[in-house]
Amino acid sequence: MRWFETPNFDFIKAHNIAYFFSGGLIVISLVAIFTMGLNYGIDFRGGQEFVFEFDRPVDVVELRSELQEPLGTVPEIKLFGSDREILLRIDTEEDITQTRQTLLANFENIYPGSTVTVQKTDLVGPRFAEDLRRGAFYSIIFALAVVFIYIFIRFKGWYFSAGAIAALAHDVLIVLGIFTIMGELAPFDVSIDQAIIAAFLTIVGYSLNDTVVVFDRIRENSIIYKTMNFTDMINKSLNDTLSRTVVTSVTTLFVVSVLFIFGGEVLKGFAFALVLGVILGTYSSLFVASALVVELQKRAMKAKP
Amino acid sequence: MKKQNNGFKIGCIVLFLGLTIYYLFPTLQWNLEQRHMASMTESERIQYENENLAKLQSLRERSLSLGLDLQGGMYVTLEVGTPQLILELAGDFADDYLEDVIRTAADISFEQNTNFVDEFVDEFERRDPDAMLSRYYRSDAANITRRSTNSEIASYLREQQTAAVERAIEIIRSRVDRFGVTEPGILQQGNNRIVVELPGVDDEERVRDLLRGTARLEFRLTPETDEINNVKQQFTNYFSQLEEEADSLNENGETKNLLEIFDLRGPTQYSFGYAAARDTAEVNRILQQEEVQSLIPGNMSLLWSANSFAQDNGFELYEKIAVRSQIELTGDVISEARVAFDPNTNAPEVSMTMDSDGGRRWARITGANIGRPVAIVLDQRVYSYPTVRSQINNGRSSISGIGGVREAEDLVNILMSGALPAPLEIIEERTVGASLGEASIRAGLYSVMFGLGVVAIFMIVYYRTGGGIADIALMLNIIFILGILAGFQATLTLPGIAGIVLTIGMAVDANVLIFDRIREELRGGKTLRAAIDNGYANAMSAIIDANVTTFFVAVILYSFGVGPIKGFAVTLMAGIVASLFSAIVITRVIVDYLTREKTSVVSFG
Repeated sequence: MRWFETPNFDFIKAHNIAYFFSGGLIVISLVAIFTMGLNYGIDFRGGQEFVFEFDRPVDVVELRSELQEPLGTVPEIKLFGSDREILLRIDTEEDITQTRQTLLANFENIYPGSTVTVQKTDLVGPRFAEDLRRGAFYSIIFALAVVFIYIFIRFKGWYFSAGAIAALAHDVLIVLGIFTIMGELAPFDVSIDQAIIAAFLTIVGYSLNDTVVVFDRIRENSIIYKTMNFTDMINKSLNDTLSRTVVTSVTTLFVVSVLFIFGGEVLKGFAFALVLGVILGTYSSLFVASALVVELQKRAMKAKP
Repeated sequence: MKKQNNGFKIGCIVLFLGLTIYYLFPTLQWNLEQRHMASMTESERIQYENENLAKLQSLRERSLSLGLDLQGGMYVTLEVGTPQLILELAGDFADDYLEDVIRTAADISFEQNTNFVDEFVDEFERRDPDAMLSRYYRSDAANITRRSTNSEIASYLREQQTAAVERAIEIIRSRVDRFGVTEPGILQQGNNRIVVELPGVDDEERVRDLLRGTARLEFRLTPETDEINNVKQQFTNYFSQLEEEADSLNENGETKNLLEIFDLRGPTQYSFGYAAARDTAEVNRILQQEEVQSLIPGNMSLLWSANSFAQDNGFELYEKIAVRSQIELTGDVISEARVAFDPNTNAPEVSMTMDSDGGRRWARITGANIGRPVAIVLDQRVYSYPTVRSQINNGRSSISGIGGVREAEDLVNILMSGALPAPLEIIEERTVGASLGEASIRAGLYSVMFGLGVVAIFMIVYYRTGGGIADIALMLNIIFILGILAGFQATLTLPGIAGIVLTIGMAVDANVLIFDRIREELRGGKTLRAAIDNGYANAMSAIIDANVTTFFVAVILYSFGVGPIKGFAVTLMAGIVASLFSAIVITRVIVDYLTREKTSVVSFG
């Protein structure tokens, strides 16, 4: 089987549409993030989180309203995989032993005679949450910086670094935006926690893979076709590597989808971020990174007398 | 030349495979043993375990361990209260000024993520450059005197901080060992945090108390009943007056009247009042108010009872007990503690023996207070307040009013492990039930199998023979990853499994790069062998660059992430190393073998 054996698409020409599309998505994401705020999970917000398994289907809306009074606040409740399991998140200063007892006592009131098992509990103190937030922030900044420096050294041009970083920021920002917009609507937990940060860094690594392979071909072609103009050369490099880009994206998309479908409830949000990341990463290395390199290179040339 | 080269490659492959099998073998054996043991009856199993103790232990230690998210258990991060420690080190020299400096320094050290002791010394000198820390700190042992310089004291405090964390780790280890957990993990994180990993533990509450208990045992006298009733009367007056004024004020829905949730008619004459468990926090809040504090005399403290005395509508009721603020005797004097049973009621209690100095003081205290109760307070909670019947000369005492035998055992454990040098706060706690862990293992296994299956089939369809070769490399790749994890004694977590699944998708990338290059060379009219040579050679720089950058990202993830995320980073790193090796070296050897004759044909689709 062969896909895109000798393709000849004009990726650079399509960049206006790509810019428009990406720009739109980024604006929507930024608006969502700034108006709705990032949907932090327990790791970055602090509080207590439980996963309960009931012996019968439960009604999330009913639980939410019934628990409001005894807890003194509306807990965040979401189904966790099946309609018998719930994920409950609450901001409270109370001792976790106390919260747990209050919850179990109230479940007994709401569903008399039911057996409830505690599958998972998480407690993160507010100060520790801030530490984790700080760590996550630095790890992303640090990762981008290392990528910038490595590409700068290997490809000898700041516009390659800048193009790659812009594409990565583009991917992460849009995934963040989608996670924010989906918020409460998603049938699984899409709050931003440490696992999502791990997914972001993986997206950074993956998207970079794609970009670097194209850049590598540009480097090679620039030696072979010395007379070709920069735009055509980049276009040729993108076409040369298109088959590989598509095949790798397909296999990776296969596995992350498998993870999303079969990986269990705990990994749902994480796998979802990866699915989005693989799609966006492939798109951005084809349409955004290289187009930006061309743009930046042209400007750099113009600036020179 | 080429033959030799391949000989070296084959040698490498055999060596790696050998190492992998060597490291994975204990894991395999351990699994078989477990399966074997699961088929036995309870008594058979215990006997078998006793007979093969050493062997089983060594197998378990050498086998690939599963993270708490997969096997179920409890993960706790504790923070040593350094500010408290520094305050307490000042002892009787401590004053409001020092307390204020410590509070500010604690805020700064948190904001800027720096060491507390450094910030404390900086803040102290910032407020008054001429002030001497020796005003507050003395130590004969560390040779800290009135004439010690600030920097000498700073390094003394730093030593104390380090020592406190080390001592806390020791104490926790001893407590956890006595509690009986298989393979607990206890390690220091940063300069004042301790991470405790307890596989298989599901009694979180007990563990929480065990870890946090500072074991500060105190013997205190109680006030006269007249005195207590007097204060109660003032409470009644104050709150009923508040009630009258409150109607217009009480709009924010907060409880203003303590007496609505706190009943002053306690079960005994020494109890100040009682409240339901869910209201205790609110009661504490109101009692902290300045106007309310002023009603309580300085020599009286109100402490909660350790156990509830009754139930009301399903809520446990706890009493506040009035005790003297002065501490007569502390737990330092306890030389031995054990579980005993009250001869009359058969209720569990902890029987304690004091050292000679403590025994003498105990005799004096009991002798002077015959007919009056002495409260036994542990970590600010009153366990019991028995009335002294006669002078006690043998240095014995006991803690009664304990919920059950288990709690008594835990108390003995805490008392015998020694008191923590500083309070510990649980800043992170995660527990996973065994059944969710099992579900996660299952989900992980399915994901690996499906992921592998789908990718393997795709590769064969797309690259024919080449794809088949890549698939062999892929299988070996997964075995290598597990081998690397076992060899480095890493832990397999759920995100780690996700990392393996992801690696399956990305590992074929190197082969895709190579095979596409071979196709390109073939299209350019090269012979199969030349195409293969050029394909491998030309794809190399892209493969290296792409993997090095991803590896960097994984390293960053490893250094910033905690817990299971570290597991993800580790498998990602192992995956990159293993996939590079299997994609470049193993497939090359196979491809070379298949094309050893000039006429042989290998299809790359």
